[in-house]
Amino acid sequence: MNATVPSATILGVEGLPVRVEVHVGVGLPGFMIVGQPDSTCREARDRVRAALQSSDLVWPPRRVTVNLAPSGTPKMGAGLDLPIAIALLVASEQLPPAAADGIAFVGELGLDGTIRSLPGLVSLADAITAPTLVVPAPCASEAQLVGRHRVHAVTTLAEVVSALRGLAPWPGPPPPAVAPAPQPAPDLCEVRGQHLARFALEVAAAGAHHLLFTGPPGAGKTMLARRLVGLLPPLTPAQALEVTRIHSAAGMMPARGGIMASPPFRSPHHSASAVALVGGGSATVRPGEVSMATNGILFLDEISEFPTTVLDHLRQPLEEGVIRICRAQTNVELPARFLLVAAMNPCRCGYGGAPGGCTCPPSERARAARRLSGPLLDRFDLRIQVGRPEVTDLLGGRPCEPSAAVATRVLAARQRAADRGVTTNARLPSEMLDVLAPLSAPARRLLEHRLRTGSLSARGLHRVRRVALTVADLAGHDGPLGDEHLCAAIEMRIEPMGLAAAS
Amino acid sequence: MTGLVGTAGTAGTLQVATATTAAPGSPATDEVVVAALSGLAAMGPARLCALLGAYSPTQAWAEVLAGRGASHPSLVCALGRNASELARTWARAAAAVDLEEVAQRHSAAGVRLRLLGRPGFPQRLAADPDPPQVLCLAGTDAAGSVPTVAIVGTRACTADGRETAFGLGRDLAAIGVAVVSGLARGIDGAAHAGALQADGGTPPIAVVATGLDVVYPRGHARLWAAVRERGLIMSEAPLGTRPERWRFPARNRLIAGLADVVVVVESHVTGGSLHTVDAALERAVPVLAVPGPVRSPASAGTNALLAERAIPCCGLDDILVALGLEGAVLRRPRPSGRRRPAPAEADGVVYEAVGWSPTSTETVLARTGLSPVTAAAALGRLCADGWIRAEGGWWSRTPEGGPGL
Repeated sequence: MNATVPSATILGVEGLPVRVEVHVGVGLPGFMIVGQPDSTCREARDRVRAALQSSDLVWPPRRVTVNLAPSGTPKMGAGLDLPIAIALLVASEQLPPAAADGIAFVGELGLDGTIRSLPGLVSLADAITAPTLVVPAPCASEAQLVGRHRVHAVTTLAEVVSALRGLAPWPGPPPPAVAPAPQPAPDLCEVRGQHLARFALEVAAAGAHHLLFTGPPGAGKTMLARRLVGLLPPLTPAQALEVTRIHSAAGMMPARGGIMASPPFRSPHHSASAVALVGGGSATVRPGEVSMATNGILFLDEISEFPTTVLDHLRQPLEEGVIRICRAQTNVELPARFLLVAAMNPCRCGYGGAPGGCTCPPSERARAARRLSGPLLDRFDLRIQVGRPEVTDLLGGRPCEPSAAVATRVLAARQRAADRGVTTNARLPSEMLDVLAPLSAPARRLLEHRLRTGSLSARGLHRVRRVALTVADLAGHDGPLGDEHLCAAIEMRIEPMGLAAAS
Repeated sequence: MTGLVGTAGTAGTLQVATATTAAPGSPATDEVVVAALSGLAAMGPARLCALLGAYSPTQAWAEVLAGRGASHPSLVCALGRNASELARTWARAAAAVDLEEVAQRHSAAGVRLRLLGRPGFPQRLAADPDPPQVLCLAGTDAAGSVPTVAIVGTRACTADGRETAFGLGRDLAAIGVAVVSGLARGIDGAAHAGALQADGGTPPIAVVATGLDVVYPRGHARLWAAVRERGLIMSEAPLGTRPERWRFPARNRLIAGLADVVVVVESHVTGGSLHTVDAALERAVPVLAVPGPVRSPASAGTNALLAERAIPCCGLDDILVALGLEGAVLRRPRPSGRRRPAPAEADGVVYEAVGWSPTSTETVLARTGLSPVTAAAALGRLCADGWIRAEGGWWSRTPEGGPGL
């Protein structure tokens, strides 16, 4: 006797539809799973057997073969436990043949027959075409985000069986997903002084330019970086769903579920491994920090303490907005479009910013300068030196602008960029610069002078022009870029540590 | 030599036997031997002096090689408690040295070896209280009667310090003074670069702590070659000697010993250039210090020197007075008198906010209250017109009349 139940498995952040086929036939009693199950998936046999027996159902003493189609791709995790159990019940005639028609199942079984949650429900639900979906109760809110299915949230196998036999109604619909009340992001008005750094945050938020803060300990680099989230425009529905999918696939959904409507802020510690940062893993491909920060901010505090090999993994995602992870069995592309914000001390003593202020030996400073590879350093359009705030600023001083006011300007600047047909200025292709961001005569002279004296490299030229465009957008400036916009852009792109100048 | 015969059979003693029999007692060999001795690990000037006080050079080499470098009674007190340890270190180092190869290497490189007390040894250093036993010289021999000024300072200097050292080096060379320095990073290198820039200037003198073929720091290879080509470069250590920590203070005493006047341009509180100052004070060489901003750590050492009655150096004239040359200057460089346009009115506010010591953009914004875009534009214009200069995100005013003092 045969039975087939639709389900899905996860690969990276993408759901993959799976048909669970069970054949109960004549032969020595046995149970076999084929179709590239991973080790967790293979162990389904023992969980399903125990769950059936705990739920007063019969484990058929026959030859049972489970095929997970398509059989060419690997299946991961325990989410196929429930569909295997249901297909087995249908095939062994413990459920009527048509009972499970048009119903897809996802869920992990406990030995006592409880149904447990699993990560990635958003992507799994998205991959399922059946009109009805049975999911573990804790994941119901994630499954409902897709919005195509009738979702039944269940807690035990017995409950599912009695509902399928028509003996009991399906449990009541789960309470509608409530987005967790967004935690108020720290506000920019708490930062005293730091006018240039505040402006850099505004430019970074408006143009999605990657930002590097250098400065002595206690200057407020981390405090500033954490306030960037509050300046970003709210996510569009499509972006929010993407963020939620990635967090769901990584098993990092907030406790109460619901769609994640605010931009994510990820700040991995500098002991993070390369796989933790970019994603991967040997058995299952789990999204890394770069993917979790998609449509939000990846904050690398003390970036110079990250191993250089780990940091250089960031180059592909920074350039292309995706990370492609290739393993022997799998080949996964994960989204990784994030705004990179980093902070570092200029050298080991921390005071290398001001000329002559560093007490490190030259070799130490040279080592500190080598910690960030040139190509990575080049990705930072904004490189700001943050000094200790002035005492007068700390105690009183002028009241500072709140995040909301800055966010309004940021939104307006993004709108101007969108009107030009680009998502953000940082992604403006170089060949479009002359069309969309022409230079005024003084600006052209300024660039010529800077290029000739070597204080601006050809590589930096395009990046400076993009930043200048964002500066002009923020000021509501129309027409060719002025020299003041370029000056501000150049001013915010200093070489960290004037090491090149050491003679 | 009887001791040698007794221990004959090891490779080391055979080598010495060849060296000594090839040219027994010839002056050339003495110089090579002393140079080789001074290149050994842990062979400081005082130890070498004590060793050569007890033995002739050839004997000293044989004793060192045999591991008895510390056994002479007069050496025991000079070497202290770890004498036997030192003797083993020297013997190990000496066993790896082939004296013939040392001699060939120096002659092939055109490096002259001069022994203390023999003709050709620089007179000033011969009269020094703590003279080097041997010198490796390359380049042109400086004329004996040229006044000399040492310009020293920190390796981690500010742009202002670098320009000051550069300007002083250039102007001193232009009026016929030989600039002495150590070819180190920062102030030293800038002083030499300045001295080389003066057209027809007096050739500079460099005293280095490594072998003359071991360029340290490596980034100074071009400057190193230029000094060797147009001036004089010397070292106490033979070719091939790697930089070792203790050789730098020893080198600094030679800089002090060669100079009529020592000028410290910038120094941290615990700077290596303070070794040079100490050595100069021991030799009664006048010490001048360039005053710096009180908030600049790179000037903390020099300002402290001034508080301890070092002579302030605010320009070329102060050095000339210290040299006793104020009336006798031959070629006085004319002040360039370059005029610049005054900063535009709006930019004047920003110019006022930029101090003489490095000022961050943040400070400029806080002082002026301007928006970042306006201030950046003004800073850019001031920088382009030469009123201020940028160094790694910090701004400072440029001295009127061009770089230097």
